[in-house]
Amino acid sequence: MVKSICYTVAALAICIGLFLFTEWYVKTQFEEFTAALETLYDKTEEKTANREDGYAVRSLWEDKKSKLHIFVPHNDISYIDYWLNETCGLLYNAEYELALGKIEVLIQISENLPGAYGVRLENIF
Amino acid sequence: MALIFIRTTIIFITLLILMRLMGKSQIGEMQPFEFVISLLIAELACIPMADTSIPILYGIIAIITIFILHQLVWLLTLWFKPVRAVVSGKPSVVINKNGIDEFQLKKNNLDVSDLIENMRTAGYFNLDDVYYGLYEANGSFSALEKPEKAGYSLPLLLIDRGKTDSQNLTRCGFDKERLQSFLKEQNARIRDVVVMTINGEGRIYFQKRGEKYKIFNTEVNGNW
Repeated sequence: MVKSICYTVAALAICIGLFLFTEWYVKTQFEEFTAALETLYDKTEEKTANREDGYAVRSLWEDKKSKLHIFVPHNDISYIDYWLNETCGLLYNAEYELALGKIEVLIQISENLPGAYGVRLENIF
Repeated sequence: MALIFIRTTIIFITLLILMRLMGKSQIGEMQPFEFVISLLIAELACIPMADTSIPILYGIIAIITIFILHQLVWLLTLWFKPVRAVVSGKPSVVINKNGIDEFQLKKNNLDVSDLIENMRTAGYFNLDDVYYGLYEANGSFSALEKPEKAGYSLPLLLIDRGKTDSQNLTRCGFDKERLQSFLKEQNARIRDVVVMTINGEGRIYFQKRGEKYKIFNTEVNGNW
């Protein structure tokens, strides 16, 4: 009996710990990624961004996504991959106007994605 | 992650309520919450295993949630008796000294033929072979048997909750006119009859709705 209660409490504690960690970790990772995207946006707007900037953001994302795969459904990660690769291609060709639209989408995704896993009524049902 | 925990809990509670509402006919040898768990575990384990777009942690969290819920339900049923009745249900006495309790049968979504089938599985071939018959909370059938068996011929079900079985009527040579005259003698209409069975020795078990069962003897062609 005591053993069972201990197992239950331990399982519950692990779950709560994991929930808090995941919430914090995913939010932090996406905040950092959003900040990098916003910098890229500003540089693109000023038309000073080059392909190296795009690749830098992409390598930052590559580093983050290898860990985010544990917590975030892989389909959501592949959306970011898709838009980020498009952005890099446009920056490579110096098509700043088109790249701005793609970066805007990326910023929106990375701002909204952590919220999609939060405990909210619309997410539960 | 917390989302998975909450969603799993909601599905667990919903399934548990549904299983309880479905009555004992849907459960076999398991408590309702154990049955719900066995339903869920297989799916929860399979989905992240087969669908590579879902992190495996989602499956693990859902399974741990099921474990926590199982432990909580188990502890609650152990500590609080009323919770046990709500979660696991109570035994239902479907046969008492007056015969079949139709209300209890209906409550558990069972009919007379289900009861007879379960009695046969338990080794009782006549409805009056037992003093009491009950469905346990896990859906299994238990009975307090009478020292002597009511008969040694297989009873056929002629009327099951107001519906006649024409095949069985023909088999025992009990045509509709004879049935009607029997019912007239008993001052009953077919729809008033909870159960009527007859065995090869001509022994009739007859129970009118709201009354105690009666036993009659008649002539039959004992060809079964």
